[in-house]
Order: sequence, then structure tokens, then C-alpha cells
Amino acid sequence: MKTLTITLTDGPYVSEYAEIACKLAENAIGRYQVNIFLYLDAVHIPKKGQNPSFFTNAGELFSRLAEKGAVIRACARCAAARGYLAEDELTNEGNESNCRDYYPGIKITSLYELSEMLSKSDRVISLSM
Amino acid sequence: MESVFYLLDTAPYGSEKAFGALNAAVVSLNRMSVTLGLYGDGVYLAAAGQNSRKLGVPNLADILYAYGELKVTVHEPSLVKRGLFGETLIETLELTDEVDFFEAMENSDCVILL
Repeated sequence: MKTLTITLTDGPYVSEYAEIACKLAENAIGRYQVNIFLYLDAVHIPKKGQNPSFFTNAGELFSRLAEKGAVIRACARCAAARGYLAEDELTNEGNESNCRDYYPGIKITSLYELSEMLSKSDRVISLSM
Repeated sequence: MESVFYLLDTAPYGSEKAFGALNAAVVSLNRMSVTLGLYGDGVYLAAAGQNSRKLGVPNLADILYAYGELKVTVHEPSLVKRGLFGETLIETLELTDEVDFFEAMENSDCVILL
């Protein structure tokens, strides 16, 4: 199966890129192994407890994507800068995220994983303001 | 993918974007051929003599000097528009005209916008 990687750099709701990425990924799953890398402000997307008044909850959208098989990773440096910390013991306990502030299925990881995702991809889509 | 082009059109220090672009480009060096393209306000990163000490943030020029193997191409028309063309620039960078800049983007397997 071919691999599609989507990179995002913006937080939810400031643009429609998070929602567009979800639609692209949903459409591609099954035909592509889908990876999504969250960089810079995009690390806010998987935060638990979002309650947008006028938009679809971006965190829930991404968590559902992960359930369907998308590999979704967030940059560790960007996440730490914004208060999201990776805790190894969470994954050891079987939690699907290594960050207690994130929806299940999305993990904080090294930036080197972006390089790995890109190098193994057949298609790459970059969405950024 | 064997090559990646990171496109930076934001000035350094005002936001995290330039730092983020440099980090992403550097970590990609071990797997792919990497080009960092400076366009628009991104060309301010090419200026020599940067001193970010009072800002309390890393000197981004030091990262460029530290990773000499990173290919950095600077969009020359953007430099001209900003009055930087005659200024002293970091010597390891490559100046390219409009055609060559976009050709480098087209020739890369993927383009990442930051």
C-alpha cells in the first residue's frame, strides 16, 4: 500500500486546514497508509476538552482518524513549548496516547519521525498558513 | 521521497516558524536530500551578523553555520525588494533567481510550507 503524509502547522479553528486534512485522510484511508504530523501550533489540535461553538471538534475528528488507522504524531519540542508533555508510563499502561492532555490515538514523538514519514511517503501534502 | 524542499517565507525571531523550518530541515538531512528555500520575508534569515542574545532565543545563523551540508537557497528578487541585495549575507547560502528558485521546488519530491 502507498503512503500519504500530511503535515500541519496551524492550530484548530484559525483556519480550515485541520478539517481539510481530516477529509483528505478519511478519503485516503484504505488506499493509502495515512500519516499526519502535527508541527508548531498544530500540536494544539488533539487537546482534550475542546468545546467549539461553531465548528466540529478538531480533537475528536483526529482521534476518530487514529481509530481508523491513521498514524498521528505531534512534535515533542512544539508540544512541550505549549504545555503538552509526553509520559512514557502512560503508553506502558496501554493508554493510546502518551500525553494525558491528548485524545486517544495521538502520540507525542521526536521530530525525526517527520523525516521518517516523509522519506517513506509516496505523496506528501503540506497545509500551512 | 528522496528529496524535500522546506519553504520559509517568514522572518526569523518574530515567530517560531524560522526555527521550526531549520529544525525540520536539519533532522531530514540523514534520510533525504534537503533544500531550505528562503522567500519573501524569509530572506532576512540570510543576513550576516545576527545577534539574538537580547531576545533570549537561539541565533538562527549559528544553526546555518553548524549545518553547512544543508543546502539553503535564497530568492534573490525578495532580497532586492527588501534592500538586502548589497548587504553582507551568510556566505554558505546560494542566491538564485526566480526561475532557478522555482525549478528547485519543482525538482524536489515534496514541498513543505512553514
